[in-house]
Amino acid sequence: MKDFEALQDIWHNQIALPKVSHEDVLKKIKKTRTGLATKLLVEILGTALFSAMLIYLWIESPFRMWTTHLAMFIFMSCCLYYIVALIGNYRRITYDNLLDKPGEYILYLKKYKHDRFIFNTRKYRIYSIFVTAGFILYFIEIAFVAALWITIICIIFTFLWIALYYFVLMRIYIRREEAKLEDMIQNLERIEKQFEDS
Amino acid sequence: MSKEALFKEIFQANSKKIYHLCYGYTGDDDIANDLMQETFMKVWQNLDKFRNQALISTWIYRIAVNTCLSHLRVEKRQPKEELTDNIIETKGEELSEKNEQVAALYKCIAQLEENERIIITMVLDEVPYPEIATISGISEGNLRVKIHRIKQKLTELYNRNERF
Repeated sequence: MKDFEALQDIWHNQIALPKVSHEDVLKKIKKTRTGLATKLLVEILGTALFSAMLIYLWIESPFRMWTTHLAMFIFMSCCLYYIVALIGNYRRITYDNLLDKPGEYILYLKKYKHDRFIFNTRKYRIYSIFVTAGFILYFIEIAFVAALWITIICIIFTFLWIALYYFVLMRIYIRREEAKLEDMIQNLERIEKQFEDS
Repeated sequence: MSKEALFKEIFQANSKKIYHLCYGYTGDDDIANDLMQETFMKVWQNLDKFRNQALISTWIYRIAVNTCLSHLRVEKRQPKEELTDNIIETKGEELSEKNEQVAALYKCIAQLEENERIIITMVLDEVPYPEIATISGISEGNLRVKIHRIKQKLTELYNRNERF
């Protein structure tokens, strides 16, 4: 029969030591930070590059119709919105939520889940409407300059892609993200309850 | 003192205890190392905010506890039976008599509730009660009662385990 003091002696005699040194941690920090920064930089640069190409196309192409100019303006606005959303995501990613108490972290996750749902549904719907409107306006001029069959193929392909993304892919994406977030919240809530004074 | 030197000092003073906490929580050496690494990454990232705090170890424990709890985000916790088997299987061959006792102790810790595991590893590492109270968010009075209960539970589990 052992008492708790004996268990404490066993505990202090253990030779299990961490295999990670402070140098390993610093190496990983640098790698992670670089990785995160690079990923975001690539996304921001990619969007900026696409925006620059749009601006170039807008300036250099001899668009004659006001509808095309409006389409370009809509596309540019969508790009700008995406960049702003990207910066917002960056700020949320870099927010070190683990320093908060678990309860606050749960609230943070719930808020994040709610915001993501709004972003993926209501805001994405508005975004899709604008992109669709942009394409409709853009295709007006295309219809005047290109062959009819090219215009029809372009229209069919573009709107099939938008519909597929909106009605199929986006719904799968939302469902998966929601399930993942809900799982995280439920697990943390279960743990939090165990910490409540009983 | 440079940030790196300070970090090294903090790491050397706390890493063993944090590793024990993570090991006690997960019962898996590799995951414990990963969680400890993640904890110290958070420490490094936020060192400037906390370098003037008197009880930096409390803050590190707090991060470690949250890191262990958040571990659930990415990987569902294994059932306790699997967890305990894992300890015995992976460590079995290299055990000396002393280590066998340590493994048996970890096996018993793994059978406790998640919050109990975290609290008892801090108790075993002789973290002062007020500090454990701050880390776990439980009032000191209630914590003493809780610790008393966990100690009894762990001792019973260990002795029962030793008999078989």
